[in-house]
Amino acid sequence: MMKHEVYITPNEVKVDGKVLNHNEKGSALLTELYRAHVGDYPKFFKMDTLSKLGFVASELLLQTEGAPRFEPREDRAVIFFNRSASLQADTAYQATIQDPDNFFPSPAAFVYTLPNIVTGEIAIRNKYFGETSFIVLEDCDENIMARELQNAFQDPMTKSILGGWLDCTAENHFEAKLYLIYKS
Amino acid sequence: MIVKVSDNIISPLGMSTAENYAAVKAGRSELKRRDGLWNLPEPFTASLMNREAVNEIAAQKSIDDRYTFFEKMIILSAAKALEQTDIDPSSDKVLFVLSTTKGNVFLLDKRETGFPQERVLLGTAARQMTDYFHNPNAPIVVSNACISGVCAQIQAMRELEGFADNGACPVDPNGKRQSHKFDYVVVAGCDVQSAFIVSGFQSFKALSVDPCKPFDANRTGLNLGDAAATIIYTKKDNVTENDWVACRGAIRNDANHISGPSRTGEGSYRALKVVLGDMNPEKLAFINTHGTATLYNDEMESVAIERAGLAQVPVNGLKGYYGHTMGAAGILETILSMQAIDDNNILATKGFETLGVTHPLVLSNENKPTDKRAFIKLLSGFGGCNAALLMAKGGVS
Amino acid sequence: MDELIYTLKQQIIEALNLEDMKPEDIDENASLFGEGLGLDSIDALELIVLMEKNYGIRLKDPSQGKEIFKSVAVMADFISKNRTK
Repeated sequence: MMKHEVYITPNEVKVDGKVLNHNEKGSALLTELYRAHVGDYPKFFKMDTLSKLGFVASELLLQTEGAPRFEPREDRAVIFFNRSASLQADTAYQATIQDPDNFFPSPAAFVYTLPNIVTGEIAIRNKYFGETSFIVLEDCDENIMARELQNAFQDPMTKSILGGWLDCTAENHFEAKLYLIYKS
Repeated sequence: MIVKVSDNIISPLGMSTAENYAAVKAGRSELKRRDGLWNLPEPFTASLMNREAVNEIAAQKSIDDRYTFFEKMIILSAAKALEQTDIDPSSDKVLFVLSTTKGNVFLLDKRETGFPQERVLLGTAARQMTDYFHNPNAPIVVSNACISGVCAQIQAMRELEGFADNGACPVDPNGKRQSHKFDYVVVAGCDVQSAFIVSGFQSFKALSVDPCKPFDANRTGLNLGDAAATIIYTKKDNVTENDWVACRGAIRNDANHISGPSRTGEGSYRALKVVLGDMNPEKLAFINTHGTATLYNDEMESVAIERAGLAQVPVNGLKGYYGHTMGAAGILETILSMQAIDDNNILATKGFETLGVTHPLVLSNENKPTDKRAFIKLLSGFGGCNAALLMAKGGVS
Repeated sequence: MDELIYTLKQQIIEALNLEDMKPEDIDENASLFGEGLGLDSIDALELIVLMEKNYGIRLKDPSQGKEIFKSVAVMADFISKNRTK
């Protein structure tokens, strides 16, 4: 059973179908949403764009859910899907090693070259000890995603999932469609 | 129950599971020091494929140069697992689940021009595989850092159980029911090393220049390796005593740090607890750990194993033979663990000499006999994720 | 040395993405890790890259970092003695 949905693109933000007003676009929009709705988590600025997107989208979702926050729990899974894996972060890291005469591999950039890191950021923020996972598909296939999310409830401890589509190809090119789903 | 049908490993130690197990049992490894490889300024130790040899063998199956080396490895491994069965891979009852961390990442190097950029996308790379087998189903690629290989197996277990005998079909967010069922899931994992990956780990100061020493007091970091590995699973009602059963899997997060392991081994401990359930730990022949030989990982696993009440269960690690094979690791190490139990053996932890973790674990650098028939595969990865998989020959009573 | 300390603060802010900080906000004698700026293990690794990239200093042993990165002042002192750029 799906409760609550967040939709974010470089130009648009909707929570449970209602448009959220904003001034900025692209990655500046993500920063605007962070400052307006979170503001006390400076680690945000170390994140790659995919993680910023997932972080901000999850915050809007969880604030809308209105349940107590930051209490350790193992019954909520965080499962995302996309097409581009960690492409934006990969590209940023590649730039630090591309030129042999200016070769300075960045650990802060490298750590984000895995799509599941965003699930880790959300788990850390919320004290979620449950399942975290990331699946890459060719396309945003609602049927496959629905099946995989339903499958995740086979873990008897999982009672809800923060899940959905979270894709980012560049700093100003991304899409998030996340929902909170409860086991029926 | 979810049962293994066949498997395959392709690695620098051999092109089949049998070859790999024999090599590991004999204590062999292809971990070698590489100086100046891929123009990297710092040397590193890695176990790497002989690409010409793989290309030749792959070409015999028409897995030719239209495929990248990563694609050749993973397709070849799946093909070799499939040819041991009479499964028709083109059937819509067969699902391919891949496990990889970086796929064709080498294509991001601006000097690489041999393939279209879109092959960097894991779904597109995976499609090369399903197209090769003429399989109509969209491939699922699990990309969950270094635990991907176990996650992909858990994925397979769920896909096979999913449309359970009670006929429950998933409902999508629009309320539509689906009605699909798979008879077989081909779980194939692979990662191929590159400047991208090696330089990244070097920037983390996580690599050892020498062959790695899991759990050892003098360990200095991990080695890296190429490999591809495949397990084919099916659901079977009447399980025999020789069937390998994937009993229970669990994925849990440390909720602590995106790259550093949790000091309390939180996620590993919880994953272990879930897969153990109420099973008597005496039934376990061993726990096959992640054992990357970094200071923090091995220490963390010792904490988790102790917390889970499993400190008396023999523990081993296989990174001393292959290095860290990333997306392939969870599958490769599970296969070798099954082979070991089939051989009444607990494989030696190559590279281990003196215990260097806080909690005393039962580790050995020699093969040891066992007559037990179950093991747990444990893995951890960046992003704070951890996974455990309980496998038992004949199932758990 | 004052100039180096100021420049170093700017470089640290940029390298570690300390978005809302200005050089004036960093006390050069406060500890960088633990209490002070609360930097973590990845930040420590980035500081090692910063030293090499901007000052040509290669740390033989990464655990030297514990001593060198005690504070901005200690770091600046080490840099002024060892820089090759």
